[in-house]
Amino acid sequence: MVKLKTIVLRSTAEFQMIKITEEIRSFIEECGVQNGIAAVISAHTTTGIMVNEGLECVETDIEELLERLVPKDMPYAHAHFLPSYGATGSNSPSHLKSMLSGNSCMFVVQNGKMISGDAQDVYLSEFDGPKSRKVHIQVIGE
Amino acid sequence: MIIDVHTHPIFHKAISEDKGVLDYRKQQFGIYKQSPAPIESVLQEMDYMGVSRSILLPIDLTTQSGGWIVSNEEVRTITELAPDRFIGFASVDPYRSDAVEVLDRAFRVLDLKGLKLHPSKQKFYPNDDIMKPIYKKCLEYDKPIMFHAGMSWEPDAPAKYSHPLHFEDVAIAYPELRMCLAHFGWPWIQETVMLLLKYPNVFTDTSILHMDNALDFYKQVFKTNMGPLWIERNLNDKVMFGTNSPRFKAKRLLPALEAMEFRPKTLQKILGGNAEVFLGERRNERPWLN
Repeated sequence: MVKLKTIVLRSTAEFQMIKITEEIRSFIEECGVQNGIAAVISAHTTTGIMVNEGLECVETDIEELLERLVPKDMPYAHAHFLPSYGATGSNSPSHLKSMLSGNSCMFVVQNGKMISGDAQDVYLSEFDGPKSRKVHIQVIGE
Repeated sequence: MIIDVHTHPIFHKAISEDKGVLDYRKQQFGIYKQSPAPIESVLQEMDYMGVSRSILLPIDLTTQSGGWIVSNEEVRTITELAPDRFIGFASVDPYRSDAVEVLDRAFRVLDLKGLKLHPSKQKFYPNDDIMKPIYKKCLEYDKPIMFHAGMSWEPDAPAKYSHPLHFEDVAIAYPELRMCLAHFGWPWIQETVMLLLKYPNVFTDTSILHMDNALDFYKQVFKTNMGPLWIERNLNDKVMFGTNSPRFKAKRLLPALEAMEFRPKTLQKILGGNAEVFLGERRNERPWLN
């Protein structure tokens, strides 16, 4: 059995970590799959899907680390007009943060429940907001 | 107070229900990989950047390709959703036989606040005699004109029509007609600067991000192509903040503009004060520029 849900979120800042743990947990419990795997996948190239402890201090450290690793003002190549968009791309830091965080995560589904550690939360991380964003949750199993 | 004087509301959800109409807009404007957004998202993006009002620009292409890149009526529809946040402009194809009637209706019935013309896309020379009734109609209603000037990214839009020097005859013939030569007339920066310097009724906007990132490109244009203090000393009443959204975004342009180290008073004029004069909402404090 394969079940899919797409959630739409609207970020409100350029950098933002939005918890989506409960949306994932709820869909797993209602989708009918008892045992299998749940995949959480972002539909974008300037966001990330992260699993980490849902504390504000941890979020701050993640943001500050990414800012140190990917400074705003560097001679990035992705800073020119893009005919395929009809717009100028100059958001390389957003793409690089997305690369560092990855765009998906997975969880075990057992007895119709999401199996996760007590400290684990799932985030959609926004690196180029504010924007409307889509996250796909696909549950595969029986 | 920040006014974005140059936005194209191509992707406003309220006017994007018809896929064929939306596809026409995208093809004619040359903009892809973006989707319609509800009014809440548009206002949220403005709020995030501190933009209090945006000018919405349509383009009438009736005789060129049989449609509009957003019509006057569609602009009116959007402005009605948030009348304190949007300033609707009209457009008219100069070659249509009812051009003056269309423009009169836009000002009188739709209550639009200015006129958008695109010489390259609409394929006319600004100093052509065919334009005289249109300019007179703008004067009759005291409405400003937002002209495209310089290179256009839109397909089938030759730059020759939008060379800044073609606007000089208009500036001379109609000294009371406020006009913006958008995009600094890039790449003809020097010619645009000459017109800004000489003619009190000529303005420009900051909607340029043709190469590099915004900070590098603004440094190139405002500090290298132009003398580094030209805006501060000579043109501080003539430059308006504009993005050309959805092609370029305030999120990129505003921080770059703020990094140009203008005096706070000059930056405030660029961000909103000069737009108020352009729109006719207030007179310039310096009477020789009125």
